[in-house]
Amino acid sequence: MIKLLAKLVSFVSKTLGLGAGVTWAGEIALKFDPNILSKLIPTGSRVILIAGTNGKTTTSKMITQILGNAVSNDTGANILNGIVGTLITKPAAKNIVLETDEATLPAVVAQITPDTVVLLNLFRDQLDRYGEVDTIAKKWLSALEKLSCRFVINADDPQLAWLGSKLKKVSFFGLDDKKYFLPKMQHATDSIFCPACGTRLKYAGVYFSHLGQYRCPKCSFKQPKLDLAARDVKSPLPGVYNLYNMLAAAAVTGTNEITAFSPAFGRMEKIGNARLLLSKNPAGFNESLRTVLDAKERGPVLLVLNDRIPDGRDVSWIWDVDFENLTNYRECITCSGDRVYDLALRLKYAGISNMRIVPNLGDAVKNQSWILATYSAMLEVRKILTGKKIN
Amino acid sequence: MKIENCKLKIVVCWLYPELMSTYGDRGNIICLTKRCQWRGIDVTVQDKLAGADLIFGGGAQDRQQEIVMRDLSGKKDQLQKMFDDGVPGLFVCGAPQLLGRPYLGIFDMETSFPGGPRLIGNLVGEISSHYNLEPRTFVGFENHGGRTYLGPGVKPFARVIKGFGNNGEDGTEGAVYKNCLATYSHGPFLPKNPAVADWLIKTALEVKYRKEVELKPLDDALEHQAHDFIVKKYGH
Repeated sequence: MIKLLAKLVSFVSKTLGLGAGVTWAGEIALKFDPNILSKLIPTGSRVILIAGTNGKTTTSKMITQILGNAVSNDTGANILNGIVGTLITKPAAKNIVLETDEATLPAVVAQITPDTVVLLNLFRDQLDRYGEVDTIAKKWLSALEKLSCRFVINADDPQLAWLGSKLKKVSFFGLDDKKYFLPKMQHATDSIFCPACGTRLKYAGVYFSHLGQYRCPKCSFKQPKLDLAARDVKSPLPGVYNLYNMLAAAAVTGTNEITAFSPAFGRMEKIGNARLLLSKNPAGFNESLRTVLDAKERGPVLLVLNDRIPDGRDVSWIWDVDFENLTNYRECITCSGDRVYDLALRLKYAGISNMRIVPNLGDAVKNQSWILATYSAMLEVRKILTGKKIN
Repeated sequence: MKIENCKLKIVVCWLYPELMSTYGDRGNIICLTKRCQWRGIDVTVQDKLAGADLIFGGGAQDRQQEIVMRDLSGKKDQLQKMFDDGVPGLFVCGAPQLLGRPYLGIFDMETSFPGGPRLIGNLVGEISSHYNLEPRTFVGFENHGGRTYLGPGVKPFARVIKGFGNNGEDGTEGAVYKNCLATYSHGPFLPKNPAVADWLIKTALEVKYRKEVELKPLDDALEHQAHDFIVKKYGH
């Protein structure tokens, strides 16, 4: 009965063009039955949960494509209402692949028993909403140690490796390849202190942010042995972060290669001449800048910063992004978004002079080769470029 | 006789740059450094207190804060002496907690953790007229669980226009002891408040050289635009 009502709401919402029919349906269903999630998983189905700050959507898409016969919250509706809404409105399938918001993971595993939980990474992101990285890791551990499922965990992230050492049935993945080392440590690092004893970790090299090859010089904590490394897989998308996503997908599915993969919304997606890179926290933004700087085709760059709820109200994090790397970028750099002046000020102090400030996004998106934007900004950019909404 | 800007030298101490750098805190160091360099002032950043003309402390995650506290309590006397000598400082984020009781106890103020909701959001305030700054307002973002109450030994840094400030009750924001400022604004406080940045630089140099210092004016059009945008959007 509740499912039927929720489906109706979703249909009406979509028909009237209100968008996001999925989350509305979930919201209504949860109002009537806060424990509905446990009842939406058919017996015999396989539930895979994907959590982490960056890479959830791409990894889910990779797993879904490899497994087939899957239902997934592929529109990024990853908090409780979106997950419930997805399971109500989409046709049932054998595999249920759900990307799960950092703060939502404990609530989800309290209601359903997953087959596999994937932990990708933990970076600083929206402290106003999630709290500190350490706090999330603690909450994850107390929720996950009760489960008897399989875990797929990124061993290059010290905090997650430590978490994994407390769990059973863990497959660890990591790059294990010096060719991806950065020449120097980036500024936006979170977990560079030993999760066991608090001593500063010794890094042989860093892949990005605090992901790398490390050990504690004081206690016995060290990087766990890898079950899967970069040499074992072939990623369908450029970028070190996509290599991690592919490793996670391969560890879950046992398939080490994907051909013909189209990127998820705003993840190297191409619309017209513009490449779209969702960039919503320091680690992700630094990787986006690296992708632009490493690309053969350079061209004008648009940066868009919003401060709405899905972006995080606090924009302080832009000072942790290494915009200084753009100093020698010859093409024009345009700033736009709700917090355009904050962004422009950051660029000014990074020593970037070839900069334009264009508050009107409609004008700003014209003739760009690269568009780096926060979540709500990316939705707007896509809407302008394609003339339609995504839900 | 005033000293030319290009003949001045300043040493900035960034306390625990790895442990106390949670959310864009380095924006303050970038801001101080650039505003000195643009004027030809020679600037060095170090993590030692000894020899510093200006002290900056950022925000830490809980676990990191414990490590900092263990180390910093051994430096309490040194820090107190520098403040008493007039060395200016800026402490953001959890600083009001750190500098007062029950932690270091240099500032006459008390922080409690009643366990209520965290105080989160854009923060706009009017800076104490003592500083004679233009503009009088400051803008920031706060995110704290503690509630701080000032004693008579410190003065509030500002009066809250929008946001919560020290405790969400008495309208005070931050605290000042001698030339040291503590604020609940976290992360990059100085870039959008260039007048405060310049006050810190000028005070540091005047205490160091024991002479009046006049800073070369800079083009702050973009800084003011970013500041005014927040005041207009959130400051009422």
